[in-house]
Amino acid sequence: MTPTTTRTIRERVASDAVAAADPALIEARGIGKRYGAVRALDDVTVAIRRGEILGLLGENGAGKTTLMNVLGGMTAPDAGAVLIEGRPVRIGTPRDALRLGIGTVYQHFALVPTLTVLENARLGVGGPLARTPGAVERRLAEVGRQLGMDVPPGAVVGHLSLGQRQRVEIARALVRGARVLLLDEPTSALSPPEVDGLMATLRELRARGVAVVLITHKLGEALRLCDRVVVLRQGRVAGDLDADILDGDSTVAERRVVDLMFGGSGVAAPPPTSGVPADARAALAVRGLVVRGDGGDAAIRGLDLAVRAGEVFGIAGVDGNGQTELADAIAGQRAPSAGTIAVDGVEIAGRGVGAAATAGVGYVTGDRIGEGSVAAASVAENLALKEVGSGGEGSRFWLDRRGMERRARAAIERFAIRAPGPATPIGRLSGGNVQKVLLARELARVPPLLVCHQPTHGLDARTARDVLTALRAHADGGRAVLVISSELDDLLAIADRIGVLVDGRLAATVARVDVDADAIGRLMVGGHVSAPDRRPA
Amino acid sequence: MTDLPVADFLSALLGSGLLLAVPLLLAALGEAFAERAGLLNLGIEGMMLGGAFAGFAVALETGRIAAGVAAGAALGVALGSGFGLLTIWLRVDQVLTGLAITILGSGLTGFLYRDLYGGQNRPLPTTAARLDLPVLTDVPVVGRALFGQPLLVYLAWAAVPIAALVLGRTRFGLAVRAVGEAPFAADAAGIGVAQTRFAAILIGGAAAGLGGAFLAVVDVRTFTDNMTLGQGFLALALTMLGRWRPWRILAGALLFGMLRSLETGLPILGMDVRPEFVGMLPYLGLLAALVVLARRAAMPAALGVPYERGRR
Amino acid sequence: MSGAAARLAPVLSSLAAIAGALLVGGLFLEARGKDAVGGYRLMVERGLGSSFGLTEIAIKAAPLLLVGAGLLIALKAGVWNIGVDGQFLIGALAAGVVAPGLSGTLPNAAVLLLAALGGAVGGLAWATIPALLRVRFGLNEIITTLVMTSVAINLSAWLVKGPLKDPDVVPPQTRLLAKAERVPDIPGTEVHAGLIAGLVAVAGVAVLFGATVPGFRLWVLGQNPRAARHAGMDVGRLTAGALLASGALAGLAGANDVLGVRGLFQANWNPGYGLAGFALVYLARLRPLVVIPVAFFFSFLLLGGDLMSRARDVPTQFVEVLEGLMLVFFAVAVALERGRWPHRRRSAAVEGSPGPLPAQASGEAA
Repeated sequence: MTPTTTRTIRERVASDAVAAADPALIEARGIGKRYGAVRALDDVTVAIRRGEILGLLGENGAGKTTLMNVLGGMTAPDAGAVLIEGRPVRIGTPRDALRLGIGTVYQHFALVPTLTVLENARLGVGGPLARTPGAVERRLAEVGRQLGMDVPPGAVVGHLSLGQRQRVEIARALVRGARVLLLDEPTSALSPPEVDGLMATLRELRARGVAVVLITHKLGEALRLCDRVVVLRQGRVAGDLDADILDGDSTVAERRVVDLMFGGSGVAAPPPTSGVPADARAALAVRGLVVRGDGGDAAIRGLDLAVRAGEVFGIAGVDGNGQTELADAIAGQRAPSAGTIAVDGVEIAGRGVGAAATAGVGYVTGDRIGEGSVAAASVAENLALKEVGSGGEGSRFWLDRRGMERRARAAIERFAIRAPGPATPIGRLSGGNVQKVLLARELARVPPLLVCHQPTHGLDARTARDVLTALRAHADGGRAVLVISSELDDLLAIADRIGVLVDGRLAATVARVDVDADAIGRLMVGGHVSAPDRRPA
Repeated sequence: MTDLPVADFLSALLGSGLLLAVPLLLAALGEAFAERAGLLNLGIEGMMLGGAFAGFAVALETGRIAAGVAAGAALGVALGSGFGLLTIWLRVDQVLTGLAITILGSGLTGFLYRDLYGGQNRPLPTTAARLDLPVLTDVPVVGRALFGQPLLVYLAWAAVPIAALVLGRTRFGLAVRAVGEAPFAADAAGIGVAQTRFAAILIGGAAAGLGGAFLAVVDVRTFTDNMTLGQGFLALALTMLGRWRPWRILAGALLFGMLRSLETGLPILGMDVRPEFVGMLPYLGLLAALVVLARRAAMPAALGVPYERGRR
Repeated sequence: MSGAAARLAPVLSSLAAIAGALLVGGLFLEARGKDAVGGYRLMVERGLGSSFGLTEIAIKAAPLLLVGAGLLIALKAGVWNIGVDGQFLIGALAAGVVAPGLSGTLPNAAVLLLAALGGAVGGLAWATIPALLRVRFGLNEIITTLVMTSVAINLSAWLVKGPLKDPDVVPPQTRLLAKAERVPDIPGTEVHAGLIAGLVAVAGVAVLFGATVPGFRLWVLGQNPRAARHAGMDVGRLTAGALLASGALAGLAGANDVLGVRGLFQANWNPGYGLAGFALVYLARLRPLVVIPVAFFFSFLLLGGDLMSRARDVPTQFVEVLEGLMLVFFAVAVALERGRWPHRRRSAAVEGSPGPLPAQASGEAA
């Protein structure tokens, strides 16, 4: 996790000169925004200069995305003002923002997948650019050349990789004359070489005088790239670090940022990892698995995997390498086109969710809201969602409401779920508490194999730790746990072994004790663990 | 075989089939705009019926066909704006709103027809002028059927390439496709999602009203209770069958019109079949066509989903 | 919002929608030179103030309750059965054929039960096709149920004009059931027993969704189909089941009208309960037990429409106008309730004047 300072002296001098000559290009002054009782932003003031890369750091829920949405015209603030070159401006809609030269690259992108690159670039363009035939096309080609973009304008966006889509987004913003570029967690969907490419692009933009705002929760990237860092905590500016600190000792800078982000409270270390259980039986055996993604192309291409009882097996990898398809296939939600999946010796591939559950698979989905829960249903009903009528306790026909409530009370107590009661609709709970409900639902059945996708995504540090502890404890009870996470830290904290998923296959499987984050990172891009580290896993 | 009036049969089939296809074609073309923009308009039946009645009433009062047709389209626009206000700005469920408009359309037209005209069959005194295209009408068999039609028929045909052009090649068409597929992306690109959808439903309403007016004023030349007989709903099915593409919608509407004209065509061939039996066939054919052509059709991704900024 | 207010709000929305529709409908009548106040008074006096009126309301409520029960199942499961009219017609025709066909061979009660079953099976069969198309081919049931209704209208007319026509009479219809062969009245009333079937059906739906596993699964499917799949529920079977149950109840409603009221099936008869059923179930906020009073209210409106048409020269379509207005007002009321008025967005402008937008490099015009 050691960030390396790659900026050259020349660059530093250049950006210093620009900074001195120019006041803020864009300034958010005293911005406030509430959602119900939650203060998402509270008197936040941030200024960005021309030719500067500003890092906006903070935990999940610190207010980074809300601030970006305010600048991009997606969210109207309750208080405060936005100034461009010292003049107050009105940003009521994204259209206003674009007209003012503010371009936004959203985390999950804002491209129409059924349209081509060129059509997406044309979308919403007005004025002379729209009136001149071929103008957008020429600008796009020009910008594409400057950025070294490899995407033909006629390509349909839905067929592009996530990295390509991001380049299209950036190019589109520039076509429309963006002077300020806001990027929300731009590296979350990228592989390490793609991240390097993005950084080169952003440096190029800085050299051209564009003001870049990089929103991220990844410390290393921010320290590597940014000229200045502003840290948000609970909707307020916790502090900022200027170039002097960023260019100094990287560990000092890192500690400062961590202090600002977490308020020095510090997060307790995750539970220690137990050793790999020796020759335990394989609770899950996957062979030659091929699974198609939603687009029809194979997302998992011939994957082999064995998870032993008593261990936590972590699957690392950049999002979009087949994680969802793998989890869905094991849980019976997606029929593989080839291969076998055996749980405790029972073949379940393609036999459906019921067969998988009967064989002993528990599945905490990565999409908690979209498929894991029913927002209008109560906590008790959501907890009972999978067992209802399955013939365990109670009748197959009559709903055992009293039993559901009793079990819900027990789960709320055991997992410290913050909910007014079992009858509260789950849609009113925070993301962390929803995750606890889903985890409680699976653990209640004590599944011999628990699959958990994105266990800590969007959770605060404390809840994340609780979830990871529960997963580890499940394995320590002699069951198998498969954790699929793009957060490497999750896996390093609790996994016994880690497999790296690259392009639908396990590129490598290593024992946790043998590796660190850097080694895994190299594997994620198709590299190898250096010889002394390798050991049969 | 020799004395069968095949030529007469074909001519009748084409002639009445083309007329029967026009209201469907117009309504379905309009619906393609609405659905491409993300709006499923179940009020289309009420809009057609409203257009039919308004067209009939105005044509009767003024004695002018054109005035009636314009009134039908205008009423369609009015109902379309009602649908838009409720579903786009108030984010009311589209199916609920559509059915409400259809019930209202059926109730109001039936009420007013009885109240104003006593519910008796009142034919329009004037006939829509046929525009015979010289030379072309002399082509044997199909000549008169294809090229001896009222002006509005040609306009309906012309609407097909125009709709294809607007949807496929203009900024507005691009915006329509974007808001129906990925409204968040469209919003982020600076497109007014609500405005674009509203424009699309106005087009849909106008086209449905026009289709209804054509039915009452040009084709049947009178109004009867619920005279659209589910043609608006049929247009919905044709839109889906044509996968929201104007040329395919034209093919579907023509095919359906021909099948329906069998009802009048088969007796010419001396076949004695009940009209209700023949009347059933086009719908069964439509279901079969939907199975073959439109199964798992990729609908506009945001069809039926209200958009609210800040919520994906 | 306090708990009580939160519970009351939906009721108020529906009541406001009804009041609004009656008001606007009345103004419309007045505008057409009709005596709205007199008309409404007539509805209340003759409809509620006489045993004739109450009997008629109870009789007319039966098909609404049956159709409403069916729509409840479908809509709660998120399945759009817009083809109720077709299922109703096929059910009615089936009952109209089965009852005279069997009459005399079995005790009358058995004949009626079999004919009612025939009606339910007819409606169910009619819903099978859209159900199959949806589950097998992913065809949207909104479209297919609508198309199936058009088929049903033609098919039933053809059958009753041809193969299934009563040969002894001129008009195209099935053989008329004698009064004694029809559904008997509830003892002490002149209301036939179809009402009981309707009430039982709605109560059954209330139990289904309140206390049973299949009901819970259907509800989950309606709320979040992906969660239903994730939880291992058979989404295809649930979808088909909801559509079939809905169709069977619509068919039963058709049988009710033939066996209890009319005694025969006639060509080109289509009371169009489908759309009324939608309005009714929505106004009841998809709550089974609320459907019962709302169904009686709709029945009251239907009777009132008849009365006003006879005595005040108000076309019967006025009832449809009221239904449509109720739905529109209901939609607006729900929007209000959710606080979904398009509020003016406060922008990021500073105190004082927002000032003109600076000219931009991108050259985009407003």
